[in-house]
Amino acid sequence: MQSIRISVLRHVRVSGSAESWLLAEKQNVLKQLSRQMCSSTVTCPDQIMDRVIGLVKKFDKIDASKVTKTADFQKDLSLDSLDRVELVMAFEQEFSLDIPDEKADKLTCCADVAKYIVSGAEQKVVEES
Amino acid sequence: MSLTSTAGYVARRAAQRERVRILYRRALKDTLNWAVHRHLFYQDASELRERFEVHKHVEDPDTIDRMIEDGEAQYNKWRHPDPYIVPWAPGGSKFTRNPTPPSGIEIVYNFGREDHLED
Repeated sequence: MQSIRISVLRHVRVSGSAESWLLAEKQNVLKQLSRQMCSSTVTCPDQIMDRVIGLVKKFDKIDASKVTKTADFQKDLSLDSLDRVELVMAFEQEFSLDIPDEKADKLTCCADVAKYIVSGAEQKVVEES
Repeated sequence: MSLTSTAGYVARRAAQRERVRILYRRALKDTLNWAVHRHLFYQDASELRERFEVHKHVEDPDTIDRMIEDGEAQYNKWRHPDPYIVPWAPGGSKFTRNPTPPSGIEIVYNFGREDHLED
């Protein structure tokens, strides 16, 4: 309940005047609201990016100071393929996702991962709305 | 001739790398399915990693093929009968629970302000 309240409050604050916003974009109200409501799984892209980077920094084989948005896991962060598998599994658990095998190989930097998670989240919102 | 055989060798090694990657991924997920608690999983996962790392420097493609087949056989033998599935993924408990309504159905949220919207 608390998280719903926080997310609604955040929403109101961001959009300035909630009323004019509601009138302006009435089509998107449900989508936006449901995205805000389930804030544990679906958040805005910046927050997802922060969580991804935080997670990558915590991975014990990575030098945390080298982590940036576009640092390549294999080249810049010197992970081997099995390390990357472990990292993708960490992402799956953090965001409760199911990343298919062939897609997992293509996620090479934090920005990639964040983009994939955001696209998956939007799809989910559309499905649930 | 030697060029084609080299290209074939490279392609074969790439395919093997892919197979090992997928095998490791599945085995790691399966380890999580079998482990009841996190602290058990960490132990099991590092043991699994050890088993892969031991053969890191094997070069002979035929030996690698045999090892991969052995590994896949072991994976299939110990596969969990009831694995964890992410709720939204196919087979999960929330999969297609709230499907998208058919196109053409629209909900208008006007909150009794239809007159204000006209202009």
